[in-house]
Amino acid sequence: MSGLREGWDSQSRVVKALMLRELTTRFGRENIGFLWMMVEPLLFAVLVGIMWTYLKGPDEHGVGIIAFVASGYIPLTFLRHSFTRCVSVFLVNGSLLYHRQVKVTDFILVRVLIEFIGGTMAWLFIAFALGILGYIPVPAYPGMMVAGWLLYGLVILSVCFVIAPLSEVSEVIEKILPVSTYIAIPVSGVFTMASWAPPGVREYLLMSPMVNAMEMIRYGLFGDYIKPYYNIWNPILVSVIFMTIGLVLCRRVRRDLVVE
Amino acid sequence: MIICDSLCMSYRVGHGRKRVLDNVNLTFERGDRVGLLGRNGAGKTTLIKMIGGVIVPTSGRIVREMSCSWPLGFSGGFQGSLTGYDNARFIARVYGRDYKDLRGFVEEFTELGEQLRMPVKTYSSGMRARLAFGLSLAIEFDCYLIDEVIMVGDRNFQVKCHAEIFEKRHDRALVLATHGADYIREYCNVAVVLRNGQAEVYQDIEEALAIYEAL
Repeated sequence: MSGLREGWDSQSRVVKALMLRELTTRFGRENIGFLWMMVEPLLFAVLVGIMWTYLKGPDEHGVGIIAFVASGYIPLTFLRHSFTRCVSVFLVNGSLLYHRQVKVTDFILVRVLIEFIGGTMAWLFIAFALGILGYIPVPAYPGMMVAGWLLYGLVILSVCFVIAPLSEVSEVIEKILPVSTYIAIPVSGVFTMASWAPPGVREYLLMSPMVNAMEMIRYGLFGDYIKPYYNIWNPILVSVIFMTIGLVLCRRVRRDLVVE
Repeated sequence: MIICDSLCMSYRVGHGRKRVLDNVNLTFERGDRVGLLGRNGAGKTTLIKMIGGVIVPTSGRIVREMSCSWPLGFSGGFQGSLTGYDNARFIARVYGRDYKDLRGFVEEFTELGEQLRMPVKTYSSGMRARLAFGLSLAIEFDCYLIDEVIMVGDRNFQVKCHAEIFEKRHDRALVLATHGADYIREYCNVAVVLRNGQAEVYQDIEEALAIYEAL
């Protein structure tokens, strides 16, 4: 028991140290890097929202288009940034492995956690900025929204646990990653809702853990204006599977990792 | 005590594998000062990195029953883009030490002054060595792993190291990889010669040095 406790203490120290280090290297002390993490989704939501307003009208299936775009774009940015930042993460941070208590899995956890915190701050920032102007409603079921966002985060984290070790073994991953995230947009639930799809198609859409989590987020935000379809076990199960595969891969890759 | 139990290490080279260490068995006690000798590529750095837990042996295991520093060498341990202070802060957090105490010791030991505000990648090897030694001495390990780097320090640094490691901390263990016979003579009480993937232990330093010089 005391061994477990010690391990936990040591790992939480490492994660905290890595987070602070990552924030200083990435955003420096002077620039407004962290602010960009929040401003970028805001710009996207507003500009795409305006464009869509002209193309399709101010509402999409009964909900405000700017709120709809914003609620989809923040998770998408989180997904994309997490995936790209996990590529070659072991190699980039190799010199830190000199400190024995630092594990390769900490690198992945920290990078995804930072993106997740950035995304959460983007939510809050946009909610205030556009909420005051009346473009974003007050969440109908905040608990549901948070649960959906946490599940979404869990899914991305577990996929990153697979991407990171694979990218160390083969550079193919790095090359195909941008195109795969682009192709994955239709099954990510970012710009569509399951209720818009015909029942035959919906069935397949709901196999995607991202769609299930997005449905929960949107249900929490818009409430009963929309008809959600979700099963919370889908993202949980998918995460457990990816996490297990990822941990095995991390262990394998760590053994052969050449640390300069 | 540190036990290396049938350690093997092979690196991937093209399609085959190159075996660097082949069934190495060693035991270090507290207070042992081990000099590692061997030609370039004999596996000195590999063995030190393995004891430090930086690389994982292909087979075999390492039992560490005392705290062990990270390998103090020409590379690794620091984030080049961060300043000396930032690295110190990171290391203090990882090892659960108070940054203020650490900082005071490092400033005094390294004498790097304003340079500590510069990114570590701008440091010379001597300056890096000062920072690495300063930090690991402030953390207080039972065993210090030193890979060559002690040789790059200037006279003032040598004197300080001597006082801190060999006088104040004479009860600690030390594993020192070096080509400088004088260092081994002066500081070590056991010598290990690495050749053909095997480790040979000599209690008699002069005997080990004679073998090393004939390699």
